[in-house]
Amino acid sequence: MTATKVMPLNPVPDTGPDTSEPGTVAPRPVLQVSSVDKIYGNGTVALKGADLTVKQGEFVSLLGPSGCGKSTLLRIMAGLGQVTTGNVRWWEQDYGVVGSRGRKLAFVFQNATLMPWARVRKNVRLPLDLEHAGKSEDVEQKIDDALGMVGLKGFDNSFPRELSGGMQMRASIARAMVTEPNLLLMDEPFGALDEMTRNKLNDDVLKLWKEKGWTIVFVTHSVYEAVYLSSRVVVMAARPGRIVDDIAIEESYPRSPNFRVSTEFAGYCRQVSQALERASAMGEDRDEERQP
Amino acid sequence: MKAPLIRNERFVQIGAPLLVGVLVLLMWQLTVMAFDVPKYLVPSPVDIGQSLVSDFPSLFNALLMTLKVTFLAFAIAVMAGVSASLLFVQSKWIEISLFPYAVLMQVTPVVAIAPLIIIWVDDTTWALTICAVIVAIFPIISNTTLGLRSVDPNLLSMFRMYRTSRWQELVRLRIPSALPYFFGGLRISSGLALIGAVVAEFVAGTGGAQAGLAYMILQSGYNLQIPRMFAALILITVTGILLFALMVWMSDRALRNWHESALKVEH
Repeated sequence: MTATKVMPLNPVPDTGPDTSEPGTVAPRPVLQVSSVDKIYGNGTVALKGADLTVKQGEFVSLLGPSGCGKSTLLRIMAGLGQVTTGNVRWWEQDYGVVGSRGRKLAFVFQNATLMPWARVRKNVRLPLDLEHAGKSEDVEQKIDDALGMVGLKGFDNSFPRELSGGMQMRASIARAMVTEPNLLLMDEPFGALDEMTRNKLNDDVLKLWKEKGWTIVFVTHSVYEAVYLSSRVVVMAARPGRIVDDIAIEESYPRSPNFRVSTEFAGYCRQVSQALERASAMGEDRDEERQP
Repeated sequence: MKAPLIRNERFVQIGAPLLVGVLVLLMWQLTVMAFDVPKYLVPSPVDIGQSLVSDFPSLFNALLMTLKVTFLAFAIAVMAGVSASLLFVQSKWIEISLFPYAVLMQVTPVVAIAPLIIIWVDDTTWALTICAVIVAIFPIISNTTLGLRSVDPNLLSMFRMYRTSRWQELVRLRIPSALPYFFGGLRISSGLALIGAVVAEFVAGTGGAQAGLAYMILQSGYNLQIPRMFAALILITVTGILLFALMVWMSDRALRNWHESALKVEH
């Protein structure tokens, strides 16, 4: 029987807020994933020896073929999944810092994952309500700010069904923002949106990331999206899910839409695509090895 | 320009079944008159209408008694059913241990146990109410439990990320998610509460001041007062329809802003 290691979730003393900004020298590691294996009860090896360090202020994209364990890894990073072996550290500490003082994780799901029965404002304030933040002016201001930043001012009283897919996703991002997270984990958040909306939201996320000094781990299937957004693209292979490449995108921020049509962008896309092809081939080789 | 009535959805929803009803009654009346069918075999709609008017005081008293049992049973079924569901979702073990007994109540024919209940419980109203509760409770338990468990897994993950208490999870997530299922249960259960009340009255055969509509049907049958029997039957049916309509209205009020079942789709 495989022993499942349960990550301790007890709060320990906070080590103080992160002060490092994106681009500063020697930023602190926010997340350290060390030799993580994840084996499901049915024997499926979802992750094998995953090693990844994400530093303060980085924008890291996880890219790989379907079934390579991107989402599994992201959920483990959020403290939502248990590792079979290995270790995950948040802010250099061995505990799930989810929701503890000064260290906040927020997760943006593939779907907007809004409460359909609640109006937009109530959806956005949910994390604050869950933390018993009350209804002070400060809290209301935070909600107003979050709604304003994602361009949903004036939609407070709408129900999610009254919004377009892109607007629902914006509400979901506002809900993540309202807690002022230190680490934002996004699981293919724009995968179901049209190209135009997706590009617009990419720019919005980049702007917020820069303004707020967030650290973002972003799962995507799109090479173009990964290159446009990220400071690093981590490429994963399937069967078993593992990290096979880590490509730095050394284009400076802010990145304008012109970057999308530049030769540098094309070069990075080619490099990442080739890494992705190699990763896909690794998965197929494993499949062939398994053929009788 | 005003749209013709036939295009008015609300008019069609009410008008179409009403028209069918009027046509059926007309055919019925004409058939009975044409073949000169005696009242004690098949009374005409006019005979039934006359009986409804002439026997109204006794029919109305019987209706009140049946309604009393129905509403009492329905209220108890809702409270007990929801409580049981809330208990079931606290732990799989509780559900596994107790759910078979809920099923047992559902599959036991109430006519088979009604005589026992009537013997055990002195007060007739309560005896009838218990029988009706047994019939009405299962859809509430079954639907509400399903609803409380049918939570968006991502939303649940989010709640767990924020380390919410079970109470918060229940109040903010599980109960709102369960509302459409709960209202589905109410629609079924309201009709069953009425059926349970009527069946229990049949078995109890209670007359006098505590006579319900079922007793009126029995008594009218014995006395060959068939128009009155039909009149009592119509009152039961109309009560059932009104109860169902009330549940639909409540469900629409509660879910109209967000749930697909209550949304008005514009084409």
